Amino acid sequence: MPTLYERLGGAPAVDAAVDIFYRRVLADGRIARFFDNVNMEEQIAKQKSFLTMAFGGPNKYTGKDMREAHKKLVAKGLNDMHVDAVVENLSSTLRQLGVNEKDVLEVAALANSVRADVLNR
Amino acid sequence: MTLLTYRSAAIDIEPGEDVLSALLRAEIDAPHSCRAGVCQTCLHRAVEGAPPAAAQEGLTEAQKAQGYFLACVCVPKTPLTVIPTDEAAARSEVIVRAIDRLSGDVARLYLEHGPDFSYRPGQFLELITPEGLGRHYSIASVPEEDPHVELHIRLHRGGRMSGFVSEQLSPGDRLHVAGPLGTCFYEGVDPGQPLTLVGAGTGLAPLMGILRDALRRGHHGPIRLYHGARERAGLYLHDPLEALAAKRENFTYVPRALSDPGPEGGDVAAAVLEQELALKETAFFLCGGERLVGRLKRDLFMKGASLKQIRSDVFLAAN
Ligand SMILES: Cc1cc2nc3c(=O)[nH]c(=O)nc-3n(C[C@H](O)[C@H](O)[C@H](O)COP(=O)(O)OP(=O)(O)OC[C@H]3O[C@@H](n4cnc5c(N)ncnc54)[C@H](O)[C@@H]3O)c2cc1C
Ligand code: HEM
Ligand code: FES
Repeated sequence: MPTLYERLGGAPAVDAAVDIFYRRVLADGRIARFFDNVNMEEQIAKQKSFLTMAFGGPNKYTGKDMREAHKKLVAKGLNDMHVDAVVENLSSTLRQLGVNEKDVLEVAALANSVRADVLNR
Repeated sequence: MTLLTYRSAAIDIEPGEDVLSALLRAEIDAPHSCRAGVCQTCLHRAVEGAPPAAAQEGLTEAQKAQGYFLACVCVPKTPLTVIPTDEAAARSEVIVRAIDRLSGDVARLYLEHGPDFSYRPGQFLELITPEGLGRHYSIASVPEEDPHVELHIRLHRGGRMSGFVSEQLSPGDRLHVAGPLGTCFYEGVDPGQPLTLVGAGTGLAPLMGILRDALRRGHHGPIRLYHGARERAGLYLHDPLEALAAKRENFTYVPRALSDPGPEGGDVAAAVLEQELALKETAFFLCGGERLVGRLKRDLFMKGASLKQIRSDVFLAAN
């Protein structure tokens, strides 16, 4: 049986989703400040990493990596509300791309499963 | 036999292990993020041996041809010698053939180069003085048509390379260059697609190269070139570009000088945002200072342009 990542379309699906997702995030007043980096290429690379992971892709991230990646953001006030906002933007991006509801929920659950690490709890 | 060499050091790599993991295990601080072949942060270059095709998926043809690959998904089967991308530039000698002025504070330099220096218009090189001072400059010439490499150098007051170029350099002098570098050139653009070039100041240099390259490669979609400057004198190729626009049906030239009250006055970024309408379909090239390029890239993206279709070079000052 194909994995979630394969069902969604793998790396090309990440490429297709990243512009829409990043545009939504930058337009979302709740979380834009965390992402408004002058170096957009660098940000896009990180967004792709995020999407690959949320799509169930073949990353090798550990909980410790997630803690490290978001440590500075937690110091700047990152909390549950922001994770909710990210998951919301992720879900609406997938719906816009025509992904079926079952897979959308599976992606959201995957993203939510690292909440504690992301928030360094 | 070692399967993996980094610069000149043999690196231990296990069967089935990817190059990135092996480098990290050897305590080499290799940049990375997704570790899944998607984000391209782990780009490296193979200088000996051929990386497997799977490690080059998603790269441009130009990058593949130069041996670039993604270390996180590269499991070598045959010996590979790799280097980080910022060391990929080879050095060569050039001879200054001419220096003239395009405007009061922009010098034009023509450099004769050997056959080993091959470039695409719009790429940049590092110009190196005999004392070892290095600065980056974009290439305005087209190798198939021009015998020499052409650079446009803005002469900053108090600038070290600026001073060297305006006071010391003369025709016949020998210098070193490293490169070429950069991926801001006409590649992966559909010949029928709208092509929009935006530059401020000497940001025009790479755009001239890209424009001429696009035309000689038969680009038939609409091409618009926006050039911004503080003063009218800074629109230093105004007349030839206006003449080209009169001759070429698919080419439009939009000059904007900040301090000019006339119809060619105003902010170049504002002109772009006002006149560019087919954002989703257009290939953009943005070159020049950080303020223009950074702001415009974000604005175009938010209004619907695809980030993949925005190529840019920021003329960062050397630290
Ligand atoms: C990829 C790339 C491509 C480039 N292409 C070109 C090009 O085609 N043509 C070109 O003219 N330059 C280009 N540059 C900029 C160039 O490399 C040098 O930074 C610039 O020429 C200044 O060098 P300098 O030694 O004369 O001045 P420096 O001695 O480095 O600086 C002297 C003073 O000038 C100031 N200064 C330097 N640059 C600027 C600036 N842009 N605006 C305002 N103040 C500045 C510095 O802050 C400093 O106070 C490019 C840079 C990059 C990174
Ligand atoms: C919902 C679960 C989340 C997951 C699975 C996740 C995943 C990731 C991943 C994989 C990276 C790349 C790490 C790297 O390679 O350096 C990353 C970086 C980042 N994340 Fe998250 N993230 C989540 C939530 C959030 C939230 C809620 C925010 C802010 C609102 C956020 C902001 C960022 C930022 C700004 C970076 C870049 C950090 C840097 O520049 O180094 N993330 N995230
Ligand atoms: S780390 Fe993202 S492509 Fe290799």
